[in-house]
Amino acid sequence: MTDISMHLNTDEIELWAQGLLPAARAMHLADCSLCRVEADRERKVILELVQLPKFAPSAGFADRVMAQVKIPTPSGDWTA
Amino acid sequence: MFSLLYRMVRDRALAEDLAQETFIKVLNGIKSYRPEFKFSSWIFKIANNAAIDHLRRKSIDTLSLDGAPSAETPEQMRATSLQLGDRTESPLDEVQNRELGTAIERAIARLRPEYRSCILLRHVEGYSYEEIADTLELPLGTVKTYIHRARNELRGYLEDRRD
Repeated sequence: MTDISMHLNTDEIELWAQGLLPAARAMHLADCSLCRVEADRERKVILELVQLPKFAPSAGFADRVMAQVKIPTPSGDWTA
Repeated sequence: MFSLLYRMVRDRALAEDLAQETFIKVLNGIKSYRPEFKFSSWIFKIANNAAIDHLRRKSIDTLSLDGAPSAETPEQMRATSLQLGDRTESPLDEVQNRELGTAIERAIARLRPEYRSCILLRHVEGYSYEEIADTLELPLGTVKTYIHRARNELRGYLEDRRD
């Protein structure tokens, strides 16, 4: 069992940033300015990361890939 | 998977080549896939290996718009930085600079490739620590260490820029 007075570790700060920190540990965060500063800094980075856009390859990418995939023929040979 | 590759190598055309190489390996080697392994993790593993192999071959992980990672003073950073204004930008360069030019993207680019893979899988792809360990075939403790160090470095880069 974690002592309520113990500072949050990095795993707990990540849980807090995700809204998953257990209530008992959240109580420590409410009372500890050191942990709040640390947690706020960590949350800013995590938020920036989770908001990064997803990129897609250019049009025709799937066709270019499939053109190079070997497909087995009924005779068991492989063709490109 | 393409996003991971693009952020690893920071070159759209090269990321497409590596993505193509990955899919061809996956489709041609489908018989070697082990069902106890998550299919998407298998693809990420092949893609990540392709990116890391490329970075090792070309050592482009030492290149950065802000200068070499070893540069500590502003003078060293200026001396080792890439001078984008020295050449004409192609439309592809323009797209890449727009897509990967934000402070957080530039900070990610400065991370070691191993840290970059872990932090991207964790916070961009949403993998758990255990899934990352399986995908990258690393001990769980190593994955945690890499991710914590990567976040610390990112915080440092981003806070330096704001000062």
